[in-house]
Parts: sequence; C-alpha cells; structure tokens
Amino acid sequence: MGVVGESVVRVDAASKADGTLRYTDDLPFDGLYGAVVRSEIAYGKIRAITFDPAFDFSDIVIVDYRDIEGRNANVVLTDDQPFLAEARVRHIGEPILLLAHRSKRRLREAAAHITIDYDAQAPVLSMEESLALKQRLYGEDNVFKAIHTLKGSLPEGRGLFSLEKTYTTPHQEQAYLEPQSMLARYNGGRVKIIGSMQCPFFVEAALEGLAGEKIEVEQAPTGGGFGGKEDYPSLIAGYAYLLCKKAGQDVKIVYEREEDIAYTTKRHPAQLHYRSRFDETGKLHALEVDITIDGGAYVTLSPVVLARCVLHAAGFYDCGYIRVDARAVATNTPPNGAFRGFGAPQVIFGIERHMDDIARTLGLSPAVVRERNLPGAGSLNVSGVPIAEHARLRALFDTACRESGFDALYNAPPPHRGVGMALFMHGAGYTGVGESMLASSVSIALEADDSVEIRVGSVEMGQGTLTALPQIVADVLELPVGMVSCRTPNTAEVADSGPTVASRTVMIVGRLLAEAAGQLKRALGDYDSPDAYREAVAHYRQRGGPLQFGASYEQPAGILWDEDLFYGNGYEAYGLGCYIAEVEVDPVDYRVRVVRFDAYNDVGQVVNPMMAEGQVEGGVAQGIGYALFERLVYETGRVRSPRFSDYTLPMAPDLPKISVRFLGLEGPSLGLGELPMDGPAAAVANALGHALGNAFDALPITPETVEEACR
Amino acid sequence: MQITCTINGKVHRFDCAPESRVLDLVREAGMTSVKAGCGEGECGACSLFVNGRLVNACLLLAPQIQDAEVVTLEGLQEETAAIRESFAEHGAVQCGFCTPGFVLRAYDYLSHGGERSEEAIKAALDGNLCRCTGYRKIVEAIVKVKS
Ligand code: FES
Ligand code: FES
Repeated sequence: MGVVGESVVRVDAASKADGTLRYTDDLPFDGLYGAVVRSEIAYGKIRAITFDPAFDFSDIVIVDYRDIEGRNANVVLTDDQPFLAEARVRHIGEPILLLAHRSKRRLREAAAHITIDYDAQAPVLSMEESLALKQRLYGEDNVFKAIHTLKGSLPEGRGLFSLEKTYTTPHQEQAYLEPQSMLARYNGGRVKIIGSMQCPFFVEAALEGLAGEKIEVEQAPTGGGFGGKEDYPSLIAGYAYLLCKKAGQDVKIVYEREEDIAYTTKRHPAQLHYRSRFDETGKLHALEVDITIDGGAYVTLSPVVLARCVLHAAGFYDCGYIRVDARAVATNTPPNGAFRGFGAPQVIFGIERHMDDIARTLGLSPAVVRERNLPGAGSLNVSGVPIAEHARLRALFDTACRESGFDALYNAPPPHRGVGMALFMHGAGYTGVGESMLASSVSIALEADDSVEIRVGSVEMGQGTLTALPQIVADVLELPVGMVSCRTPNTAEVADSGPTVASRTVMIVGRLLAEAAGQLKRALGDYDSPDAYREAVAHYRQRGGPLQFGASYEQPAGILWDEDLFYGNGYEAYGLGCYIAEVEVDPVDYRVRVVRFDAYNDVGQVVNPMMAEGQVEGGVAQGIGYALFERLVYETGRVRSPRFSDYTLPMAPDLPKISVRFLGLEGPSLGLGELPMDGPAAAVANALGHALGNAFDALPITPETVEEACR
Repeated sequence: MQITCTINGKVHRFDCAPESRVLDLVREAGMTSVKAGCGEGECGACSLFVNGRLVNACLLLAPQIQDAEVVTLEGLQEETAAIRESFAEHGAVQCGFCTPGFVLRAYDYLSHGGERSEEAIKAALDGNLCRCTGYRKIVEAIVKVKS
C-alpha cells in the first residue's frame, strides 16, 4: 500500500479551515482571567509593593512568590530563573505578581493601582557590556556556557591569504499567529493544565517542581510554535496554575500580541567573528570562529543553542584546522530561547557569508569556492569525525548549481539583480548523546474498532504530526492511513516520547513507531487486505495478546560523543540544503525583492511531500523575513515597538514563488522542520552582495542599510 | 450600553462598554472562527463581514455594529465549501490559526470576480498574515478553487 511518500491530506485541515477546531482561547470557559504584573526596570531590587488603599482589591486574586508551595524555580537546564521575582529583578517584564478576576477590565484597573518601587541599578544591555563585567550577573564572568573546540593543527601561514570578518545577527520573534495561551482547570482541589505548547512533558516537569506534585498537562491545538512554545509555556502554565490553585476556579491567560512580543523568548542575537586562511584557489586551510550569543537574563536553553552554534559554525566544509571559541552571555534583557534552527541560522549566516567573502577576495565565483571545499571521504567535521554525508552533499550541490543555472546568472546578471547561494546542513535530533538522555518511548494501541491509535508526546503545531505519524504506522501495517490515528498528547495518557523540537519527531519518534508497528504486525501474522487484517486482529484478540505495543530509544551503535572535548558525532544524522536566491534592488527606494528562491533539500525519505514542501516554503519565508524585514528595536532593555505594525513580517506580495526540491529520497527519514530556516538569510545577503558589489554582514538588511552601502 | 445586531442571521444583544472590541463580542457569542492574532488590524485572523464588507473585527468598536448585519465563517459554511476543500487539498493549511481569515478573504475576492492569477491573488492577500506556509500553497489553493 505504501502511504509513506504520499501527499495525504492533513487530518486536521477541514476542522481548521471551517473554524470548528478549538484552540486554547476557544475552549468553553467560565472562570477568571489571569494577568501578570511585570518589572518596569531592567535590573535592580524590589523595594516595596504598594496596593492603592483607595482601590478595592478584595475581589482580585493576587499571587506572589510566597504563594508557591514547591520551588520557585523554572528548571530548564539550571534553576536560576524564578517563576515570580522575589527580591531582585533581572529584566524588564520579569513577572512579580499575578492577578485574576472575572472581568478583564477590572483586572487592568487593579494592575494600574499597584505601585512597585525599585532600587534600580545600571543594567547590562549588550554582550560587550556583559563580557566587560559592567555588572556581575552570573557566575564569575557572566558566561552561562563556554565551548572550545580544536581540530587539526595550524598550517604554515606562508603563501596563504587571510581574511577576518565579523557578522552579526539580531533577535528574531517567532511570531506564531496564536499568542501564548494557557488554561488551568480546577476540579475538586486538583488543577489540570491545557494550552498551546510544543512539549507537554516539559510543562509537566516544570509544574511538578512548582507544585510539588505531578500535574496533568494536555496540549490544545496549537497555532504555531517555531520553538517559541518549547520552553516558554512552562512559565505561563506556572502562572495559570498558581492563580487557579489560589482562586479555586478555572483561570485562563492569553497574551495580547504586545505582551507576547515584548516578554517571551526570541532567537539569540549573535556576534560571529570569522578568521580564515586559504590559498589562491579558494581552498580553506584554517578557520577560526569566535561566537558570542546573548542569552538574556536567565540560562534557559542557551547552552544547548550554543552547542548547535558550534557544531554548525564551519558548515560541512573540508578544512584541516578548525577552531571554535563560543560563549553565551548574560544580559538584562528578557531570556532568549528556542527558535526554529536553534543556533544554526546564526552561524550558517556567518560561514556562508564568509565563503562569499573569500570568493570576492579572490575574484572567484562563490560556487567555485564552495566546490573547492566540498568534503570528501576523509574530511573531518568541526568535532573531529568524518563527514559521512559528503557524497550526498556533493550530489545536492551539483544538482542545485546545474538546475538553477547559478553560474550563468552569476556571470551575467540582469541589471540591479544578483544571485546568491548557501550550502548548509542541519543536525537532526538532539545534540551529542542528548537523545539517549531523553530515553523516549512510544506506544500504539489496538482500539475496539480495530483501528490503531498512536500515543506519543509529539504535538501538532502546524507541521503535520497528526498526519505524518499515522502515515508511518499505516505504512508498516499496510493499512489505509485512515485506520491509524494520533491522539493529542496528555501527559497522563501518552508515552513520553520527548519534546517536539530539533527536527526529531519524524526521525526519532517515527522510527520508534515503525518499530512498535512492526511488533504489532508480527503479532498479527500474515494478512493482505484491510479485511484480512480485521480477521487477523479478531484471531489475535481470541489468543489474548497485549493490545498495546511500545518501543524505546536506544542509541544506534557507533555514536560517540565526548561533551568535555566536544569531540564525536554531534548528531546522529544531518539534513542538507543548497538554497539559491535571486534578488532585485529597486534603484530608487533601495527596496530589496527576492524574485526567485530555489530550495534543494536532502532529508532522506519524505513522508508527505505536500506537507514537506509546505514546511520548506514556510521556513524559507521566515528566513527571508530574518534577512530583510524583521527587526526588533530594544531601548534600555525594552522592546520598543512590540507590534506587528512595527515588527514587519513578510506578507504574500513580499515573497517569491519558492520552489522546493527533495533529493536523496532513499535514505531514512530525517526531520526537516528546521533546515529551511538555516540557509535563506545567507543566500539572500550573498545575492544582494552580488547585485551591488558590496558585502552585507549584518541582519536584517533594510532599505536604509542598502542605501548606506550604496553611498 | 446596549448593542443590537444580527450575527449570521440571528439577533444578538450585547450589554457592553462602548470601547468593547467587536472581536471580543463575536467571540463571546460563540463565533470562534474569528481569531485574535494581533489586535491591531495587521493579520486578518479576525476577519468577518459587516454589512457585506470584509473587515478586521479587532479594529471595530461595539457601536459600529449597532443594527448591522455581521457574518462570520460560521455563517458561510456552504458558500465557502469549495474554497475550504481546495485549501485542504493543496496543503494551504498548517497550524490553521490564520485559515478562517484566509478563507473569508478568498471568498470575498472570488465572489467579487477576482482574477485567478497568482500575482493578483498575492496582491489581494496583502493584509492577511500567515507565519507557517510562505503563502505559496494558499495562493495555489485559491487559483484552483472549483467553481
Ligand atoms: S487580530 Fe484583527 S487583524 Fe489581527
Ligand atoms: S497556517 Fe499557521 S499562521 Fe497560517
């Protein structure tokens, strides 16, 4: 039957298109609305909190840190971040009090009658200030995490060219269309959390610390995440939980867009310093990369983002000497977190811009320089192991160059136009041996009607989990895909198959599900049609075997990882991309338009081509936004313009028709959620550099930057 | 203040403050296809028809729908069936939060005789934000709606 590889229509398309699907804010609700009272200063101590005696607070539920029965710590990797500030605040917007009331209006009035006095201290607002220890915010040196790698030995400098450049990438807002939303249901002293999230088990773990007991967590249909609903929902779930527990009623918190943009996590800004040595043919001999990323006020996920930065910093290029020094630093800005690509888009911008700069230095085509540095069988990556993907990478690169006609366009561009490329990879799954620490398990169950239900913690947030996972299971069982369903996760009812992040759902969870489905198939014996399947199930039921089958992650043989040396297989596998952008610059108003975008991808077998194309198109759109449109302005630690009218996202007329190709289909399926976010910004910047004979080293590239460069 | 209007043909009365957003009123009335994406007229997720005109409900205040005929996607299920099918079939739905707004936009466009070219459709979609799809499949779905 083979439903893997088919463009099955998503199971949730109809209910989404007719408006009947209930997202968190659409669920039946008869309770209190929650609100967060936040710090107005970036750094300092809380001196006093005053409740205006002229205002009647008696019907307002008020929570502060003293109401917390468990631990006032949102433990992600460390426990430095409190749910509610106690004595000190470390960023504008840090939660101090929680309020709840039946009327949103009264809630706003109450908030306006609370005054917080601070002893303000000079905040640390930039990475430079942080490293210069303007204030000591974290540890001895304000460094949340540092990573150093070294591979090979420094070549003789003689006869080599050298180039040193700094590239910078800014904050980026996930801008999922559904704002952060969380509902806490109260039922006889117990609280259940329902909300918009990527990782129900992360939320469960965070609440267990806060509450001192396990709390049931259910994912509601989620209107986009892109990483923004990986770690952040633990916090808002905590707020809803605390208010609900104290009020003894249902509590709902739905952020307004401004609150969402101003205070939730963003992509880490990065400063990337590249120093290379290469010969006259463009062959790289040495690459030294220095990376600093801004973690914001708390550790959250920064160390893992940093690890991904390091592992992608040199791309997959062949180079005998690679050294990377990287650090994530503390500042008094809202904590940064997960965003599609998770550290890779920053450094891919760095290395791919640098490859073009090498080409420019030598007067060579960017394609020639990349070609010259393609890895071979013996090439080692940044963490010292052979690049197993070398042949696939070359095939992808060759196809992309040939089919897009890169050289012809590069050598004879139409006026005001330019073409650029980015060749890159994305590690699928968790970094290092991370996957084995997750110890993911999955389960499938034979239902009363003989259909099969998948019970995993992986969520649907738009990317297609509810459709793709049934395709994988149906494929193994040789059943129509309609006979397999996937349940929306609830931590009390499904297996913990790890978070829905890191392009791991199809690759890791899908693989485990295929294993579990294989067990069921073996238990049932032979059948060759859905009817025969039903008979086989009937016989099986008579024999009284188990109705549930599971599988758990085991690390594949040959994975070797030394976290201290940062040596070994950074990832189990990599997706590959070669993206080509063609841009046009308006000579009057300096607007840049991407007129063509070709995305060549190798992510192994594609489970659902239509959905996969959609993922790439959407990722590329976000990448083009990152390159040209999206700009958050921070002033004294505050997002100055937290609205969609100021933070410009690409709309339909701003984007070209993105064309998507998949190659290398025969390999095992790798996730492709993140890959398409990594390459576009570099491809667009390189194309612009080609159009104007100039270098664009900082994102976003707005008409003002272009004008300046043209002066 | 008291506001009376029809929503999808049924009379509704709201007892509300004059500064109440129509977005919140229709959602309270159970029309959850109208979504709050941005609250400032930038995303189109809260689209609905007021007296036949497609508008953003987040920018309207309660008095603006006094005596008006309000129609949401809930009230246009039959009329939009082909559009919705095309959206599903062509992969134009991902997280779905923007989808009701896009379906109404497409309905408005097509029922006014909008041209079936990609460029024209793209231009017509300016004002509706989708963070998931990159728009290509939405445009394709609208081109290919069966009439
Ligand atoms: S919510 Fe009304 S346009 Fe965005
Ligand atoms: S499908 Fe998610 S915003 Fe459009």
